Amino acid sequence: MSLLNGSSDGCGGCGCGGTDSGAATPEPEALNGAAANGTGTSRRRFLKVLGTSGAGAATLAACGPPNFGDKLIPSLVEEEGITPGVSETYATVLADAGPEPVAVHAQVRDGRVLGLSPNDRFGGGTSGLSSLTHSTLQDLYDPDRVSQPLQQNPSTEDGAPPFQYANWEDATAALTNAVRVGGAVLLTGRVTGTTGRFIADWARVMGVEHIAWEPFSNQALAGGTADVSGGAGMPRFDLSSADRIACFGADFLGTWLAPTQMSAGFAAARDIEAHHHAKFTFVGPRLSLTGANADEWIEARAGTEGAVALAVAGVVAAARGVALPAGMSAGSPESVADAAGVSADAIRALGEELAAAENAVAVPPGLESQGAAARQAHQAVAALNEVLGAVGTRVFPGGGAPEGTSASFADMQALMGRMRAGQVRTLIVSGCNPVYALPTASGFGEALANVANTVAITPHLDETASACGWVLPCHHALESWCDADLARGAMALGQPLMHPVFDTRQREDLLLDVANAAGQGGAFAGADYATVLRSTWTERLGGHAAWLDALRRGGASAAAWAGDEGADTGEDAAPAGGVDGFAAPQAPSGTQLVVYPTAQFYDGRGANRSWMQEQPDAITKVVWNSWVEMHPDMAESLGVDRGDVVRVESDQGVIEAPVYVYRGIRPDTVAIPLGQGHTEYGRYARNRGVNPLDLLPASADPASGALAYAGTAVTVEATGETARLVVTQGSTDDHDREIVHAMNVEDALHEIEAHEIDLVELVEAAWDSDPNSPYRWGMTIDLNACTGCGACVTSCYSENNIPTVGEEQAALRREMSWMRIHRFEEETEDGGFQTVQQPMLCQHCGDAPCEPVCPVYATYHSPEGLNVQVYNRCVGTRYCANNCPYKVRRFNWFNHDARGRGDGGAFAWPLNLQLNPDITVREVGVMEKCTMCVHRINKAKIDAKEEGRTVRDGEVMTACQASCPSNAITFGNLKDPESEVSRKAKSARGYHALGELGVRPAITYLEDVTHRHMPAGGHGEPAAEGGEAH
Amino acid sequence: MATAEAKVPAHPTLAEANRDITRPIAMPEKRFYLVLGVAAAGLALMFGAWFYQIGAGIGVAGITHPVFWGVYITTFVFWVGIAHSGTLISAILYLFRSGWRTTINRTAEAMTIFAVMTAGLFPLIHLGRVWYFYYLMPYPSQRQIWPDFRSPLVMDVFAVSTYLTISALFWYTGLIPDFAILRDRAKGWMYKIYGAFSLGWQGTVSEWRHYRRIYLYMAGIATPLVLSVHSVVSWDFALSIVPGWHSTIFAPYFVAGAIFSGVALVITIMIPLRWAFGLEAYITENHFENMAKLVLLTSLIVGFSYGTEFFLAYYSADPIEIESFRWRALGAYALPFWVMVFCNVVVPQALWFKKVRTSLPALFALTIFVNIGMWYERFVIIVTSLAHEYEPGGWGLYTPSWVEMSILVGSFCWFFFWFLLFSRSLPVISIAEVKEHLAHEHSHAEGGDGGDGHE
Repeated sequence: MSLLNGSSDGCGGCGCGGTDSGAATPEPEALNGAAANGTGTSRRRFLKVLGTSGAGAATLAACGPPNFGDKLIPSLVEEEGITPGVSETYATVLADAGPEPVAVHAQVRDGRVLGLSPNDRFGGGTSGLSSLTHSTLQDLYDPDRVSQPLQQNPSTEDGAPPFQYANWEDATAALTNAVRVGGAVLLTGRVTGTTGRFIADWARVMGVEHIAWEPFSNQALAGGTADVSGGAGMPRFDLSSADRIACFGADFLGTWLAPTQMSAGFAAARDIEAHHHAKFTFVGPRLSLTGANADEWIEARAGTEGAVALAVAGVVAAARGVALPAGMSAGSPESVADAAGVSADAIRALGEELAAAENAVAVPPGLESQGAAARQAHQAVAALNEVLGAVGTRVFPGGGAPEGTSASFADMQALMGRMRAGQVRTLIVSGCNPVYALPTASGFGEALANVANTVAITPHLDETASACGWVLPCHHALESWCDADLARGAMALGQPLMHPVFDTRQREDLLLDVANAAGQGGAFAGADYATVLRSTWTERLGGHAAWLDALRRGGASAAAWAGDEGADTGEDAAPAGGVDGFAAPQAPSGTQLVVYPTAQFYDGRGANRSWMQEQPDAITKVVWNSWVEMHPDMAESLGVDRGDVVRVESDQGVIEAPVYVYRGIRPDTVAIPLGQGHTEYGRYARNRGVNPLDLLPASADPASGALAYAGTAVTVEATGETARLVVTQGSTDDHDREIVHAMNVEDALHEIEAHEIDLVELVEAAWDSDPNSPYRWGMTIDLNACTGCGACVTSCYSENNIPTVGEEQAALRREMSWMRIHRFEEETEDGGFQTVQQPMLCQHCGDAPCEPVCPVYATYHSPEGLNVQVYNRCVGTRYCANNCPYKVRRFNWFNHDARGRGDGGAFAWPLNLQLNPDITVREVGVMEKCTMCVHRINKAKIDAKEEGRTVRDGEVMTACQASCPSNAITFGNLKDPESEVSRKAKSARGYHALGELGVRPAITYLEDVTHRHMPAGGHGEPAAEGGEAH
Repeated sequence: MATAEAKVPAHPTLAEANRDITRPIAMPEKRFYLVLGVAAAGLALMFGAWFYQIGAGIGVAGITHPVFWGVYITTFVFWVGIAHSGTLISAILYLFRSGWRTTINRTAEAMTIFAVMTAGLFPLIHLGRVWYFYYLMPYPSQRQIWPDFRSPLVMDVFAVSTYLTISALFWYTGLIPDFAILRDRAKGWMYKIYGAFSLGWQGTVSEWRHYRRIYLYMAGIATPLVLSVHSVVSWDFALSIVPGWHSTIFAPYFVAGAIFSGVALVITIMIPLRWAFGLEAYITENHFENMAKLVLLTSLIVGFSYGTEFFLAYYSADPIEIESFRWRALGAYALPFWVMVFCNVVVPQALWFKKVRTSLPALFALTIFVNIGMWYERFVIIVTSLAHEYEPGGWGLYTPSWVEMSILVGSFCWFFFWFLLFSRSLPVISIAEVKEHLAHEHSHAEGGDGGDGHE
């Protein structure tokens, strides 16, 4: 980890500190011409620059390639700490990456951000990164980003482009004028920390009303929890110490609140190797990514989860002899069973089990179950946590990251009312996309047309920006100064890491310009936002050295940041009280609609990232499309099957989408994912899939103002048509082959205590690796820890220059992913099923079937046991892939870059700037596959050699391992008996996928563990695995 | 040869034989150019599609994950199979002294060579980077990398190229006396070309003695290749671990299938050829009946192999193998499977009846069924096995694209293009051998010495 040098002036984050500010002048053309463009001339020039000029190279590395003109000027004093071709790591924060602000480390090389990894160096970060967070890289290099200011075209002739280019002077003037006319509203997304306060100050000084709004607001959660348990702001959940978990609908492993942190806690609570495994019950209408990890499913109807939670709380209170929180009373399980569509016995049993557990915890409903009684549902779960004694140990009211929003859906409705009435004369939108993310029925688009001056400050031409008069492109988070409140009172600090890709400006600087033009600049601590931020932090932390330290670490812990109101954990605040009585829910009639966010698109912001479009959904494995999930029974009664188009109609609208048949959904419910169906936003998102918000009424929970996502009745009918629905998994049934195993928790505990097995010895056979080599690289993947979130997959795309292929090619199953996550449904004894998610990647077999069939030695066995693919040697017979039992080899059917596809292909400029220089971009006709990040291994080996030692355990982390939020993946040297991977591979749960083939994989899977009862005498007996070893 | 007497028509004189057999060479007419034009158009289609594929990427073919081999390898194996008939009929029947081969061996050998030429295109067509095809050859490389001789694909390169070389030499050896006949009848530049190929053949006794020796040796060398080349091709599959491929039965099974399809195609081609060139006197029903018997025999072997595969899958008690074969018969590719069974096992049973064996229209129709069936056999083996392998999550289907179908159709045109050129430039029946038999007969009839068949 390299540290910042020099002062923080200029673009300090790039490390160029005190260099001439000329280098920091935006020069998008230079970037385009000199390094990014792959043409021969500029490549040669680029190399010349690198080779000849230390200064050139240093400046390149610092701030992107500036325009050198015709002269090459050598540097007399090289920039410290910058070596061309060597990645530097900087800490920053992605404040609006998804459900939570994420502290990250970014790898910066030759002036470009190439990769992201988690940052937990200052006591506020996480140990994993979600897919969505990784994909913000593609947001930075989005080929459809707004490259310079745009003004709506006054010409309305047919065929006239909607926008014309403008310069920044005019754009800033337009913004200034729009603010000056009065009656202005600034609508932003989540803003916290110094940024949040700065915008609030600016709005106050300029007389502008500031509304911060997020579509997926958790205000009902904050309100409901505070009502019962006190504490201001978001609660935080720490599942790691739990021994019994019940979730009432939230997708906390995928999209809800703080998924990476909660994934880590969830895995810790179920770490069978530590001899404990918290049973997990999921209550809700469909098995989401989170639900699929459950040991028990109580199929409550959407919107009734809160009522079930309250009944459970009643059972717990009775069993433990404690009282429910003041003002609350719970009905019997029978009173809610009908409405929820589940058996009263199941509810009672859940309550009794929770009551019997010492460290039980309940997780509240998420957005997909947020109905007209959202706040009450959260009150109910808070009450359950109260009677479980979880508050203060596993649930921390007010301990989460502040949401940073001020407006609920009801507030937005009020705003729209004022817009329609003409009371809003100027609307500045930044960081949110209300035209898309509000229900179509709420009519934000029409209301927007009533506003005289509309300005969007955004990097993307999304639905809202397209409807605005002016579009002022702002920096991406990785090009900006910013900070963000994290959970537990920690504060993350972000810095610009590279020269801006386009002619964009930081949003806060734009606002300061407006203030300066209005003569109000004195109200702020500096003339630009970098100064404002630095002075705030320096003051708060008590000195310049502390500020630099915070920059290095990426933030400050709660203790360091103490005294700030943003760091107030709020855990001491008293309950707000005033708990409403809980009306008994009525059993709804007709088919219920569930709309839910997915880990890849979240609220739609992931839709224009090709990685996310090509990331198979965690459950359905669908890519590039929307779908309607339905139970096999409903599909049968409609006479439809996967891919058949159905028409889903509500009072508000109608959409048509293909069916995905799924056993994990109630037969009276259909589910449609959110995030697709964009009409603007960019090439990957536009006109793809459907937006289920078209079906929702504009109704809110009266108690919290939150939008009611649940509770819409729909009719579903077959259309007789069939659509292309690309599913990247062949069968969800493993046909009892030795591929995935799930074992009962009792058996698992018994086996783990009883014996170890030595699969490691097996992979040390003579031909697996050179006996003289100190290494045999290997991996373990713990299927019990793996949730199936897909973070590893995106991480692999980012690290290894894996191209996306687009829907048409994906429909032919030609996606290039080196790693796929299969979801298998294992039958249980009671006729249900247990979902097992399995990452499948090259197993680096000791006796690999792919190797001897290659006629040209393009794939061979390295002395360290890696199965190596030599791209330059490959002629493309594809025999290796035929002979691979795991089918993990991917073939380049086309050139996926500009050579093969007219539009620039998978790496359309500037997406190519993200390409990892350590990795070849593969050509048409060659085979590729997982390398176990061999470039990282080699780097570690070089480092080790320089220091005269061997590679240490843990020194090499594969990209997938580094991003895994639940630490399911362990990589290391199997020849070192002390290494973590050797230790884990000895677990009694260890097995080799298709081990009976005798191909001696280097990857040991550890069996999934469930509280369900798996059929006896199956293939899952660990003894059978041990037998293989002997 | 004594056995030959009943088989060769007694009617033509030696001069008539010369005239009849060389007649097509002298007078190409309109319908020939028409047919040749059709073949050339198909050829253009094939090379157009291939060059498009090279330019755009192999992905314009339908092959995909997990079915990495499709129509190209299917068609490769199909043509290698076709290539078996020539050497079988020429070399093996020659060694067995089966006189009835005489009037059909030339055509069958020509088919062999053109079929190997066709087959040889497909490993190239199917390469992802055809411009590096020479990596498969053991050429002196500065990096000192040789091909991996463990790979069946390298074995294939050697098996097929050896087969092509030997077949061509064998064919050419048999042609030398006929080249001399053509030379003697030609004028101008044709004389020079035929003259060069005839290697100065004069028909002296010592020449004939050497000729007969070398022809026998060539037949001896070619015979094991009949068995080896398709065995090696079958190892492309049998040496893998793919369920449905990994089977010790493959070598004999493939050789039988190859003879089956090869002889069937000889029949398919001979019937119109005989009609078009008026060779009824030389190629008789007797020839067809003998070939039909061979088709019936190999059909039974092939049918038995199908049954054996299924039985062994069941008997192995390996659920993966069982599922693989269950799916082959009942899964997404059930139609190709049952087409295969119908064409290769059911239809040839008609050949038990002499009426069918001696009816040329019936034989023509039946052998077309066999050819379709044998193409499907390879398709079924390749595609169904790959589509439904070990890892259920990786299962997937394959549909050929228009590029693959164009190249498939074009491969027939390529084959017939060469065959048409052959039929108009070389005698489709070995004149020397025919005359040898005629001379024997004449000498028997007249009680005199007819000489050695030289004019």
